[in-house]
Amino acid sequence: MASLSTTSLSFKASSIKSTRISQVLRKPSSFQSISFGRFQSSKSLRLQISCAAKPETVQKVSDIVKEQLALSADTALTAESKFSALGADSLDTVEIVMALEEKFNISVEEADAQNITTIQEAADLIEDLVQKKPAA
Amino acid sequence: MVAKCQVISLCRSLLRAGCKYPDYNIREYTKRRTLDGFRMNKNLTDPSKVNDAYAEGKEQLEVVERVLKVYLAYPPKTKNIMELKV
Repeated sequence: MASLSTTSLSFKASSIKSTRISQVLRKPSSFQSISFGRFQSSKSLRLQISCAAKPETVQKVSDIVKEQLALSADTALTAESKFSALGADSLDTVEIVMALEEKFNISVEEADAQNITTIQEAADLIEDLVQKKPAA
Repeated sequence: MVAKCQVISLCRSLLRAGCKYPDYNIREYTKRRTLDGFRMNKNLTDPSKVNDAYAEGKEQLEVVERVLKVYLAYPPKTKNIMELKV
């Protein structure tokens, strides 16, 4: 029980993504979480807060980003890397979003596309869209 | 002076319109040309030049959309070899 209380503290600290956590609660979770339902604490070691995106999605997004920005294959890309930190300007971001749309067969709205700054956000948005539309 | 978000939005519209072509060649050309065009004018600072470039982009967007309608009427019967996975 002590471990649960420490994870609850870490969730409070990251209040920015609180909306994501509520989305996570509603979606059927693909992770084996502890049956308490509220905390995805079994995966809290891997990602900082939201386990809303699967690791394969994050990996695919990272691959596309690496290809578009012509980064070498061994640059370490974490889920929290910002596109601007990797040397992408706004045009590169547009290109990356287009490549993601093509790869995952989704359609990203204007407003959403403006707000993507990190790999994690992109992966979360993709998961959202893939779930919403019945993927052919 | 045209705002940055308008420019980005124009770029997106061009890319998205270009993606709809059934013909591989035109699709790839539109993608390549818009990115090249926007990158070339990336560093303009003079407001009148920026507005000119933006107006030109808007005209091209209209052209792309008009021509798209024509091409959709006669889609190619076979896939281009570049589209086939090896």
